[in-house]
Amino acid sequence: MSAYLLNLAELGIIFGLLSLSLNVLIGYGGIFSVAHAVFFGVGAYAGAQIALHIAPDVLLAALGGGLAAGVLSFALALPALRVRGEYFVVASLGLQMVATTIFTEAQGVTGGYGGLVGIPPPSLFGLDISSPWLFVSVCVAILLAVMAAVHALMQGSFGRSLMAVRDSESAAQAFGKIVPILKTLAVVLGCIIAGAAGGLFALQMSFVNVESFTLDQSVLIMAMVIIGGVGTLFGPLLGTALLLLLPAALSFLPGIPPTELGAVQQAIYGLAMTLLMIFRPGGIAGRAEGRR
Amino acid sequence: MLVLQLLASGLQTGALYALTAAGFALIFGATRIFHFAHGATYALAGYAFVLADHAGLPWPVGCLIALAVAVAFGLLTDVAMYRPIQRHSASFFTVFVAAFGVVIFIQSALEMTFGRSFIAVSSALTHASQVLPGLYLAQVFWVAIAVTGLVFGALGWFLSRSNSGIALRALAENAELLRAYGLSARRFSALAFALGSALVVPGAVLGAATTGLSPVVASHVMLVSLAASVVGGIGSLRGAAFGGFLLGIAENLVVAVLDTQWSEAAGFVVLFAFILLRPNGLFGAALAR
Amino acid sequence: MMMRRTVLKGGLAAAAGLAPALLRAEESPYVLGTLFPMAGPNAEYGTIFTEGAQFALKHIAEDKILRRPIVLRAEDSAGTPQGGAVGMTKLVNVDHAIYVLIGFTGVSKAAAPIAARAKVITVNGGGVGPDLAGLSPYYWNVIPLASAEVERIVPYLVSKGFKRLAMMYMNDPFGIGVFKAMQAALPKAGGELVGAFTILPTDQQFAGVAAKIRDTKPDAVYFASYGAQQAQIIKQLRDNGIDRPLATYSGASIPSVLNLPQSEGLLFTAQTAAWSSPDPVTQRFLADWRKTHQSQPSTYHQNYYNAVRLFALLAQRLEQAGTPINGDTLRAELLRVRRFALVGGEGTFDDLCDLSMPIDINTVHAGHIVKLA
Repeated sequence: MSAYLLNLAELGIIFGLLSLSLNVLIGYGGIFSVAHAVFFGVGAYAGAQIALHIAPDVLLAALGGGLAAGVLSFALALPALRVRGEYFVVASLGLQMVATTIFTEAQGVTGGYGGLVGIPPPSLFGLDISSPWLFVSVCVAILLAVMAAVHALMQGSFGRSLMAVRDSESAAQAFGKIVPILKTLAVVLGCIIAGAAGGLFALQMSFVNVESFTLDQSVLIMAMVIIGGVGTLFGPLLGTALLLLLPAALSFLPGIPPTELGAVQQAIYGLAMTLLMIFRPGGIAGRAEGRR
Repeated sequence: MLVLQLLASGLQTGALYALTAAGFALIFGATRIFHFAHGATYALAGYAFVLADHAGLPWPVGCLIALAVAVAFGLLTDVAMYRPIQRHSASFFTVFVAAFGVVIFIQSALEMTFGRSFIAVSSALTHASQVLPGLYLAQVFWVAIAVTGLVFGALGWFLSRSNSGIALRALAENAELLRAYGLSARRFSALAFALGSALVVPGAVLGAATTGLSPVVASHVMLVSLAASVVGGIGSLRGAAFGGFLLGIAENLVVAVLDTQWSEAAGFVVLFAFILLRPNGLFGAALAR
Repeated sequence: MMMRRTVLKGGLAAAAGLAPALLRAEESPYVLGTLFPMAGPNAEYGTIFTEGAQFALKHIAEDKILRRPIVLRAEDSAGTPQGGAVGMTKLVNVDHAIYVLIGFTGVSKAAAPIAARAKVITVNGGGVGPDLAGLSPYYWNVIPLASAEVERIVPYLVSKGFKRLAMMYMNDPFGIGVFKAMQAALPKAGGELVGAFTILPTDQQFAGVAAKIRDTKPDAVYFASYGAQQAQIIKQLRDNGIDRPLATYSGASIPSVLNLPQSEGLLFTAQTAAWSSPDPVTQRFLADWRKTHQSQPSTYHQNYYNAVRLFALLAQRLEQAGTPINGDTLRAELLRVRRFALVGGEGTFDDLCDLSMPIDINTVHAGHIVKLA
C-alpha cells in the first residue's frame, strides 16, 4: 500500500512541476502552449542519457534535462513572438505533432518507439536514494525550491512586466517593456522546469519512451492548470492533485471496467474544462478576471 | 510514376481536408469563433454513418443521419457553449479551452463506446485498378473529387447568389451593420454553424469508407483542418480549401523521399513554416498584431 | 498515458491488496503475474494468452501438483513499451509476483530490466523479436523467435521463385529485429531485399507504402506487424493493386487475420502445432481443451500453458527439496533439469533458458490454417 502511495506522490511532484511551469506560460504569460509534453520529453531523454552514460544522479539529470529543454525551447519561443492567441495554439499543436515523430525517429538518442530501457536507480552525490521514501523527499525538496523561485520571480518586476504583456501587449509596449525578451524568458523558464521534471521522471520510471510525450500528455497538463486555476501559485498544484487522484477514486466506483478508467478520466476532465469555462473561467483556485 | 500516384492520393486526402477546413473557415469567418470542436463534429458524423451502415441502412440514409448529427452538434455547441461564454467573457482563452474540453470529452466517449481501434465501412469502391502504368486509382478517388467539386460549387453559389449567403458574408465583415438593417446576427451565426458543420459530412463519410474511423483519426483530421485554415489564411474559404489540398498533397508526397513516419508530421511542418514566415496565410486578411 | 495507467493500476492494486492479508490465515499462495494487452487493438492477444495460462492453472489444481495455491494477478501492458514498464513495476512492487508471463517484444524489453532488478522470472510465449534471447538471466522464452522464423521461410520463398522481396515492418524493437534477421538471411539464401519500409504501430493508412512497394517490383511482400493492424495491411495492400504473394510471421495466427477474405493464400511461419505427439500431457491438453472450448487450441494457448506448467514443475521440485522459491532458485533448477514434459512433447531448455521448437510454413485457406511444409 505504501509503495503505491509513494509512487503516486512521486508522480504528483513531477506533474506538479509540469503544471507549475506551464502556468508560467499560460497563467502569467498568456502564452497558450499545448506542446509542454515536448519539453518534458526532451528533459526526460537528456536525463535518461545522463543516467545511462554518466551517473544516475538526480540533480545532474534534472539540471541536464532542464538545460536541454531550455535550449530547445526557442523552437516554441519563435512562434510566440510572431503570433498570439489561437494562432499560437495551432503552432504549438504543430510543434507537438512534429516532435512526436522526431522522438520516434531519432533512434540513437531516444531509442525510438522501444524507448530507453534499464535506466539505473537514482542516486544523489553517490548515495543511493532509490528507496521510495528517500526519492520522494529529494523530489519534494526540488519542488519546494522551484516553487519558491517561481513565486519570487512572479512577485518581482519580471512577473509584473510579464503579466502586463499578458493583459495588453500593445499597452506594455507603449510603456517601454521589451515584449520579445519578456515572452522569450517566460517560455525558456517554463521549459527549463519542464525539462527538469523530465529528468526526474526518467529516474523514477527507469524507462522513457515517446508514449509519455504525446499530445494527450500536453492536454492533461493543460487540464491540470486550467481546472486547478491559472495565474496563482497553488492553483496548478491543486489541479495536479485532483487529476492524479481521479483515476484512483474512479477505480473504487462499481461498474467501470478497469480498462476504461483512462477514457472515463479523460471524459471527466474534458467536461470539467468546458463547464468551468462557462461558469468559472479562472479555474477552482485561480485568479479571478481582472485581478493580479 | 510513384510521384504521380502519391499526388493522386494527396488529392484524395486533400479533398477531405479541404471540405472540413472550409467548414471551419466558414464558421470563423461569420462568427469570429475559433471552433476547435469542429473535429468532434467530424468524428460524430463519421461514427453515425458507420453505425447506420452496420445497422443495415442504405448509404444515402446513412449520409442523411450523419448530416443530421453534424448539424445538430454544431448548433448545440453554438447555443450551449459559445453563446453563454461570449456573454461574460470574450477572451479567446475561455472559448478555446471550452471547445477543447468538448473535443476531449467526445473523443473519450467514443473510445468508451466503440473502443480504441478503428471501424470501417467496407465498400467495393475502395478497390484500386490500374489506370496508367504505375498509377492505381480506386473509384472512391473520383467520387471524392466529384463530391468536393460539387460541394464547393454549391457553396460558392450559395454565398454569392442567395440572400442568406450574402447575409453570412455581411456578418463576417460587419455584424453591427447587419443588425442595423434589422437582420438577426444570432440567426445567421446559427446558420454559419449549421452550414459549416454540414461540410464535414462528405469528408467523414468518405473517410469511413477509405481509411476507417477511430477516435484518433478524427482528432488528426481536425488538427490538419485547423492547420489548413491557418495556412490558407483564417477566414478565407478559398484559402482553407487550398490549404487542405496543399497539406493533403504534402502528407502524401513526403513519403516519396522520407519514411512513411513523416507523413503525419509533414503537414505540421508546413504549418509551422507558415506561422513563422507568413502568419497571415496565403489568402488571409492581415492579422492585427 | 503513463500517469493514468500507473495510478489506475495502483488504485486497483490497493483495492486488491487486501486479499493477501486475508489469505495469510492459510498458506500464502504463489503470486503469478500476467502482463498482456488487455484492451486496445491488441487485446485479442491478451485474451488468448490468458486463456492458455488459466487452463494450466486448472490442470495444476486438479492434479494437486503444488502444496500452495497459485493466484494470478493480471496487469494491462496495452502492448506498448511504456505499458510494460509501468505494469511490471506494479507486478513487482505492489502485487509481489515472483513469476510473470509476458508477451510482445517492446513490452519485454522495457519490462525485463525492472523484473531483473527484482529477480522476478519473466516468461515469454508470444513475443518473437530476436533480441529477446538472453535479454536477462531471468527472462526466458518458450517460443521460437523471429530470427528462426525468417530463416525458415526465406529459403522456401526463394525455392518457389520469389527471390526479390519487399518488406514492410513496424518501427519498434520487434519489427527492427525481424528486419535485421531478414537482412542477414535473404542474401544467404540467394534472394534480394529490394525495398524495406517502416510503419508505426498507430498507422492505419498504407496506400503510400503500397505505392512504394509496387514501385520496387517485388516477387513477394513480407510484412512484420501485429494485432489488428495486420488485417488492415493485408486489405489495403490488396486494395492498392499488390497481387504478389504476401508472407509474414506467426503473428498472423489470430482470428482477425484468418477470417479476412483477402488473407486467402497468405504465407506464414508458426511453431509446429505438435498435436500429433502421443505423450500424455499433450493428449490431455488437446482432449480437455476441445471439450471445454469446443475448438482447436492455438500455439499461443500451448505456449502460455507450458509457461505456467513450467512454474508448477519447478516449484514442485523446490518444494520437495525444501528450498525457498524465488527467481534465483527457479533459474538454478531450470538449468539443472533442462528437460520437462510439456505440451508438444519433451522440451529442452538451452543455456539462455530458451526452449527450441520446430517451425512450420502455413497458408491461410478459407479461414483455416493449412500446413504447407
